[in-house]
Amino acid sequence: MPDDVTVTSAEWLDRARSLKQDGWWFSDLCGVDLLHSGARVATGEEDERFLVVAQFLNHKTKQRLMVHVPATGEPPTVASIVSVFPGAAFFERETYDLVGVVFEGHENLSRIMLPDEWEGHPLRKDYGVGKVEVQFVEQPLMQIQAPGQSPRGEEARQEVDRLGQSVVTEDGEGRPMSAADRRPRT
Amino acid sequence: MSTVSPEVVRRLEDEGSGAYVETFDETQERMVINMGPVHPSTHGVLRLLLELDGETVMECQPKIGYLHTGIEKECEDQSWRGAVVCVTRMDYLASFFEEQAYCMAVEQLLDLEVPARGQYIRTMISELNRISSHLVGFGTQGLDMGAMSAMFYGFREREVILDFFEMVSGLRMNYGYFVPGGVWEDLPDGWEDAVDSITHLMGYRIDEYEELLSENPVFLERTRGIGVITAGEINELACSGPIARASGIDWDIRRDMPYEAYGDVEFNVPVRTEGDVYARYKVRIDEMRETVKIVEQLRAKMPDGDFKNMDPKITHPPRTELNRSMEAVIHHFKLSTQGFSVPPGEVYCAVESPRGELGCYAVSDGGTSPYRVHVRDPSFANLQTLAPMARGGLVADLIASIASIDPIMGGVDR
Amino acid sequence: MGGVSDVVGANFVTAQLDKLVNWARRSSLMPMTFGLACCAIEMMASTMPRHDLARFGMEAFRASPRQSDLMIVAGRVSQKMAPILRNVYDQMTEPKWVISMGACASSSGVFNNYALVQGVDQIVPVDVYVPGCPPRPEMLIDGIMMLHQKIMRGDYTAGRVTEPVFAGGQVTQ
Repeated sequence: MPDDVTVTSAEWLDRARSLKQDGWWFSDLCGVDLLHSGARVATGEEDERFLVVAQFLNHKTKQRLMVHVPATGEPPTVASIVSVFPGAAFFERETYDLVGVVFEGHENLSRIMLPDEWEGHPLRKDYGVGKVEVQFVEQPLMQIQAPGQSPRGEEARQEVDRLGQSVVTEDGEGRPMSAADRRPRT
Repeated sequence: MSTVSPEVVRRLEDEGSGAYVETFDETQERMVINMGPVHPSTHGVLRLLLELDGETVMECQPKIGYLHTGIEKECEDQSWRGAVVCVTRMDYLASFFEEQAYCMAVEQLLDLEVPARGQYIRTMISELNRISSHLVGFGTQGLDMGAMSAMFYGFREREVILDFFEMVSGLRMNYGYFVPGGVWEDLPDGWEDAVDSITHLMGYRIDEYEELLSENPVFLERTRGIGVITAGEINELACSGPIARASGIDWDIRRDMPYEAYGDVEFNVPVRTEGDVYARYKVRIDEMRETVKIVEQLRAKMPDGDFKNMDPKITHPPRTELNRSMEAVIHHFKLSTQGFSVPPGEVYCAVESPRGELGCYAVSDGGTSPYRVHVRDPSFANLQTLAPMARGGLVADLIASIASIDPIMGGVDR
Repeated sequence: MGGVSDVVGANFVTAQLDKLVNWARRSSLMPMTFGLACCAIEMMASTMPRHDLARFGMEAFRASPRQSDLMIVAGRVSQKMAPILRNVYDQMTEPKWVISMGACASSSGVFNNYALVQGVDQIVPVDVYVPGCPPRPEMLIDGIMMLHQKIMRGDYTAGRVTEPVFAGGQVTQ
């Protein structure tokens, strides 16, 4: 089992510096949202919702070290350690993107996984999984037929745009697909 | 960090992210080229913003996320057993390592012991997976250098190994074969012969690959002294695996912090000091040789006994028990409907995947599904070394560098 | 034989022009290298020695959308990738076909979440769905053969969606 350490956001950068001097190798950094956690993983503070967890490895002593840094404030903020461990750059961007923890002092803190215009941070617990309900409509679609024999035939194709895309509106009418429809849903 | 001006980046974004969008910065006489995400040599959907002065790469900025699948969130929606099926789809060339890291993490949380046979099976199959993954790395490395036959040779042997995986797990890729507590099924009859034929075949086929590329003057010209990265930069950039070992960092989790059955086998860790594309290629080739040795030892030492922990709270009872024991039926029902619960806690487990340190950080709140699963993917961290490798080189050398990093975008973007 | 052949002799073959065009289109499909995820590896494997897609004249993958007329969407399509996929599809020249390879491309497979487009048919019209996660190379080859049949039947109207078929099943002629 790795050792556990908890440091505050203010001490974090200095701690990272001393870790580097002691020969620790940065291996991982991620964020955890403790909103629904009965466990309250390592720190006991009730008002701390976000936790940044970093992993270090010492090649010489063959030890691992897990460091917890609670992210406080709104938006939750933690000091960036990119100046000490440049390899943390991608990991901090990912944590910012998916959990919404801001890393103070990061040069290029932008979304890395999701499109720039995305709203919200998916790995927060109050962000839904984003499931799309699968509806099994009763129609003989699964029978494998030759093209052109389907009962869905012509009426479905009545209203199509240049590229053959159509949209069925809520009242069951068809209309050509517009540019807005084609944009991915966010 | 890159000096590509934000305005140029924005203009590129606005004009669409097509295959080749170019702009020309008149004040600095530098050209910014967008490479990818649909490009044959970027290994999937990697996108690079290159700032060029003529043919020389001044800056290289990887843009990722085009394959973001939300697997970490998806895992929170699954049972502890079901999440194996999700994590295996991250790094799709080295699926078994992902399953291994995740299962080891869950086992640590459960404080669950894996029987010796289960550990041996896992280790042996992972090692075979390392060969099949390196074969694709070898093939694409050759293909990107213009040596198309390397690709044919690599995939030829990969099929043989995939046949074995199919025999064991029923699938060619995305297996879901490792489960917390061991493996899902025991090895099928005749596995010894299958493993023997693979190790025998690989024994001389690796020499064949070396004949193909290792002394090929064109290949040497394009790889020696190209994409050099120093051990210092490697350490700073959290890089691991064959890339680190090609730059002289003598570190392999399998040897230095043994897990599963690695303590019982003997092998060398190939290390080189040049730190160029050729060294990384050679390290992978040498690793394949060592891996063949490991597989041979594991096959000879394979113990008998259970292949998974038979604790009825974790593992489904055998089919025959269901007709006889009421208790077995209850356990079966509970496991099938909600799965097992894991005591609260957090853990970080790392394995040595073909690309480096693959870690799994898992948090449990005591429920039947993971509270948080984070996977530290080696490709994700290793991709950061692309900028220092590419800087100052030619565009053609950049292609060689990408191939030598061997990033799997499924693992990078997750 | 009959008709014109009788007049011009045995050195000529006569056929209906549209059949000839369909035959030419079928026999020279140029797939676009549009590998996204796991399925891309199987797509590559299907062109490799064991499965050898070259038997059907399909091994020449093209990296440029301008030169290709078949897009094999191999893998999961993320929300970030979706506009690019559409962009690439628009750049391809008519006539063009789309194979949705694998469960992820067809319906996003095991991943039903915020990040993925739930089926690539929301973005581009699909001609053949190839099931599997990932489909075996044989399955992809079956899907391509099915597309060949479809093209042979002349089942293509510019700018129109044709009824999709599902690989792995029997197509009634």
